[in-house]
Amino acid sequence: MLVTDQSSTAMTLKISSNAKEISLACEALHALCVYVTGNEKCAFDVQYALVEALNNVVEHAYGYQSDHEIIISWLHQDNRLQIEIIDNGRSLTVLPKPVLPDFEAENGRGWWIISACVDEYYYKVVENIERECALRPGEKNDKFDTTLVKSHQNILTLIKQF
Amino acid sequence: MVMNEQKHDDIDVIVLSGRFVMADSPEVRERLKVLIEEGHGKMIIDMEKVSFIDSSACAVLISAFKSMQSKSGRLILVTSPIVQSLIELTRLHTIFEILPTLPDALGVFSLN
Repeated sequence: MLVTDQSSTAMTLKISSNAKEISLACEALHALCVYVTGNEKCAFDVQYALVEALNNVVEHAYGYQSDHEIIISWLHQDNRLQIEIIDNGRSLTVLPKPVLPDFEAENGRGWWIISACVDEYYYKVVENIERECALRPGEKNDKFDTTLVKSHQNILTLIKQF
Repeated sequence: MVMNEQKHDDIDVIVLSGRFVMADSPEVRERLKVLIEEGHGKMIIDMEKVSFIDSSACAVLISAFKSMQSKSGRLILVTSPIVQSLIELTRLHTIFEILPTLPDALGVFSLN
């Protein structure tokens, strides 16, 4: 776990995509949350949501491969916490509805927990693309010949008022 | 997380402490599976000293509950406030049998 950027209201953590580092990071952020908000329940709510979001990244974005990077960006201002979880793995194409599955189902409770524990959350995919447009003498070409996605980031933003 | 096993007559008692999260789930799942298969259909999972739990741990508890049901056994959970909080949030308290302390849970088995 690496703290890469820090100020009085913001911090960025980099962790590997494995369950042990998630646990460690979440414990650290729980302590920070208690310090910032003075509210143990709020800190547990944030930790519940954060753990589920990070578990999803490990499981779905990186398919349990443990050597990928996850960035956790923390910002608190006034009475508002904003946490971004950033990965470069497989993107979601649908943000699942926060509903509880049947009791018999062992999985599928993560988004319900996230939804219940934060005030707002949203997901976005940011693609960095490269476009090519070849021009020959005298030609006018207002269309791009190729568009390549060079890299992307999946960003889940969690917002909690305190 | 630390997992200890006790035997009270024919009751298997699993005492968990610390964080019970995704990193620990495979180990606990496998151990519970073996104990349920080899046991007498009476199990208590004592999580009074568990400091945090996530949905992957809930999945392990559901798996154990279903395995115990399939052999007509009985699983009782003992929970800490933070464990109880997530179990209630996910409505699992409507299905699981939960008691506040280990002596309470042992008492239930001794009545039968």
